[in-house]
Amino acid sequence: MSNNSKKPGAAIAIYLVVVFVILYAPILYLAYYSFNSGGSMHSFEGFTLEWYGEVFQDTRLVIILLNTLAIALFSAAISTMIGALGAIAITHVKSKQFRSALLTLNNVLIVSPDVIIGASFLILFAAMGLKLGFTSVLVSHIAFSVPIVVLMVLPKLQEMSPTLIYAARDLGATRWDVLSRVIVPYISPGIFAGFFMALTYSLDDFAVTFFVTGDGFSTLSVEIYSRARQGISLTINALSTLIFLVTLVLAVGYYAINTRTIVLGRSARTGRPARVEAGE
Amino acid sequence: MKKVMQVFITVFLAAFALVGVTSYLNSSNGYSGADTLTVYNWGDYIDPDLIDKFQRETGIKVVYETFDSNEAMLTKIARGGTAFDIVIPSDYAINKMKAEGMLIRLDHSKIPNLKHIDPRFLDLSFDEGNKYSIPYFWGTMGIIYNPELTQGKEFSSWEALWDTDLRSEILLVDSAREVIGVGLNSLGYSLNDTDTDHLQEAYRKLCELTPNVKAIVGDEIKMLLANEEAAVGVVWSGDAAIIMDENDKLDYVIPSEGSMVWLDNIVIPRTARNIEGAHLFINFILDPENSAQNTEYVGYATPNAAALEYLPEEITGDERFYPGPDVTDNLEVLANLGKRMLGYYNELFLEFKMHRKRA
Repeated sequence: MSNNSKKPGAAIAIYLVVVFVILYAPILYLAYYSFNSGGSMHSFEGFTLEWYGEVFQDTRLVIILLNTLAIALFSAAISTMIGALGAIAITHVKSKQFRSALLTLNNVLIVSPDVIIGASFLILFAAMGLKLGFTSVLVSHIAFSVPIVVLMVLPKLQEMSPTLIYAARDLGATRWDVLSRVIVPYISPGIFAGFFMALTYSLDDFAVTFFVTGDGFSTLSVEIYSRARQGISLTINALSTLIFLVTLVLAVGYYAINTRTIVLGRSARTGRPARVEAGE
Repeated sequence: MKKVMQVFITVFLAAFALVGVTSYLNSSNGYSGADTLTVYNWGDYIDPDLIDKFQRETGIKVVYETFDSNEAMLTKIARGGTAFDIVIPSDYAINKMKAEGMLIRLDHSKIPNLKHIDPRFLDLSFDEGNKYSIPYFWGTMGIIYNPELTQGKEFSSWEALWDTDLRSEILLVDSAREVIGVGLNSLGYSLNDTDTDHLQEAYRKLCELTPNVKAIVGDEIKMLLANEEAAVGVVWSGDAAIIMDENDKLDYVIPSEGSMVWLDNIVIPRTARNIEGAHLFINFILDPENSAQNTEYVGYATPNAAALEYLPEEITGDERFYPGPDVTDNLEVLANLGKRMLGYYNELFLEFKMHRKRA
């Protein structure tokens, strides 16, 4: 196997590079023109930071940016709590059939089109007489994030040996102790992963948000959409580049936290080989 | 557990801090004060300096929100939860809003500047007596063409579109009433014809046009024509002005058989909170000087006769965008034909679009 490995290795590398170049080219192209002093995407005339300045001078845009972040943080945190508890509850369901039914229902929510979720929320809010704005967006974001969190936390729960809980109970732990000192610490990597997934889902959601924004409240993706419809301005490029950077930072943060928890996990439980931890 | 809790508490604190900062920014910009006026308009359809001026003069803060189609605007207002004080819909949308009781009757005594509006644009079929709406901008529908690509062909008549030299060179707007209207107008019928025989005739005539049609498109028609992707387009004058701004080779004509005239109008929707301020705003916009300033910014034709004096001759003298009464007498506003007739128009238009595929 090793004597043949050189050539496929190069092919794999080329393949990966090509795929990644194709995936990132549109974003980089857009980012490149955000520094164009020419004012359009036809030709690059010179370097400028004017468009970035314009983004930050536009108070409405800054307000929308902060709103988007606030919504993302709130919805991610709340849905992580609901989702993690939900995942724990699902693993405690005795009947196997009922459990898999619950899981299927959870997954249906993930695969069902955003447009349908958004439209049904709009109808629900209108029927309830709830004013569209911060609350409606927050509620809908929590709703579509919860199933994702459940899916991120479940594997951790399934991989956890039930003997840990039995041992804790044997040693006199109350139910609360078991939850707070055994289960939650064990599944915390899943919880953080779920949190970050929910955060990015909320940040870049367009379809659901589009339906439930209103009364002056808007999020970045919806705002960018309506601005792009009005005409091509490079502030949109600048703004999109900024969002891309934020997402990048989040992804790096997620990666850092993930690797850190693995390292921490290894040092806390010295007896076990590191390979098992890394292979989760 | 402790670590998880710490992270979550930090996240919540950060989120609350963000909300705090936003509400501070909101209030320092007056977006949520008591004396505000929410204007719901098409994107980039008013001079922002005028909004500043209005805010300075009256102390009322203006919140400006935009929509990109009459339909989007209608659904947003109809479903409630909004508080727009001023909306600027097109003529046919006013019919619908009136029928659904979405509008508030205007108090003409609070709009003395109404007298500046050219009577040609008052008391039209969609709102007789201007009980609910005041004209904002107006324009026509016509043919835009690129003389370089059409070798000096004349486009003063709709018939010119059927020329066999124009194979796959024409772009049409994706709008049923407008395109069927071209068929009707070219046969000498009214745009608002409800005689099904006439409509069938127009449909058959349009089907003959299909070899010349390159595409039926939406907003991108402006970009396509400016980039010379097609030689001829059937467009609204407002779009034509924008295209000619980007590419001055193109020219615009209103065909002699007649065409459509459109008006965008200022209305006060039922959901308005600041009705007093809305009247102030309408009167402010109708002021001849303000109206002239707005016209120069937006680039569409103003129905404000008194404002024309403040505009340069090269704008108001342009017969293509400020046609005289001899031309406008030939133009028609789209009338509300009722749901059934509209369905029939849409059906014909759909068949016309399908026909293209078979050809």
